[in-house]
Amino acid sequence: MAAFEELVARHRDKIYARAYSMMRNEEEAVDLSQEAWVKAWQRLRQFQGDSSFGTWMTRIVINLCLDQLRKHKRQRTESIEAMSEESGGVERQMPVVTTNPTAGLERSELRQRIDRALGLLSHEHRTVLVLHEFEELEYKEIAKVMGCSIGTVMSRLFYARRKMAALLSDVKKENWK
Amino acid sequence: MIEYQKQLLVQSYLDGELPQAQAHEVAEWLARDNEAMGLLNELRQTRAAVTGFEEALPLPESREFYWSKIQRQIEREEAPGASAPRVPWHARLRRFLVPVTGVALAALLFLVGNRENSSGPPDTTTETALEDSGAFTYHDSSAGVTLVWLSYPADEVADNDDSLD
Repeated sequence: MAAFEELVARHRDKIYARAYSMMRNEEEAVDLSQEAWVKAWQRLRQFQGDSSFGTWMTRIVINLCLDQLRKHKRQRTESIEAMSEESGGVERQMPVVTTNPTAGLERSELRQRIDRALGLLSHEHRTVLVLHEFEELEYKEIAKVMGCSIGTVMSRLFYARRKMAALLSDVKKENWK
Repeated sequence: MIEYQKQLLVQSYLDGELPQAQAHEVAEWLARDNEAMGLLNELRQTRAAVTGFEEALPLPESREFYWSKIQRQIEREEAPGASAPRVPWHARLRRFLVPVTGVALAALLFLVGNRENSSGPPDTTTETALEDSGAFTYHDSSAGVTLVWLSYPADEVADNDDSLD
């Protein structure tokens, strides 16, 4: 158990960060990351070493977060974001942000802006972004995990990135309504 | 304005999702088209900004407090007599009914087989007694033999796998 505690100490920030990126809720992220560690303990014998321990752990926490998000989705009505996506989102018509939206920003300010922008994405868009940018999964892998088509993954990722770019460069919110 | 499919093509190029030949074509197009190049740069900068973000997100609890909750949960679940995961009533009913139904069907087949054995031509059959039950019967009329295979439990509870597959 002491060795496992050491593993938790070594990877806990990353596992929590992944949960938080997906859930956008500190308490839920802490709970899910702890649940992931309990699951990992129970399945430690199944860890084959094909991937690193960190990768194995992040996949456990991602699956837990996806389950939780599906529960949330069943409980809420369809979001405005999803409707926008289906009706042909504004991301297609948005002017290109020509200057680097993050240039000249202090790290803390940048973090705040990204944090805020991520929070404005729907679960679906944020999840695609997290799985692609943080987990470095390919389109087809994301499609499999999320149970959607590759085309949907591409359009969600495109929407998420364009919205992030606009938000980071202080494009007026009216453009997104 | 670049059409939507081409916008997605720019993104696929950035993410290395295009086959080599197509990637080469897109690279040539990007070199000629400033608007497309602008979009590529925007997507690239956004990706770079987001990718580096997660590193600076520390856990808001102390090591000891965080670990203590995990440890308690592990110990609770490993304690003797810890309750097994609750199985829904319909799943429990199904677990009970499937083997019982299989046995009943096997017995029925056995009786029918014995009756046919006295008059019908020699015959052997193998069949599934109940779909998805895991029960099979093998009947040989000439020898007057009926064998029944029952696999139990018939249905495994799907494990919430930790892989992303």
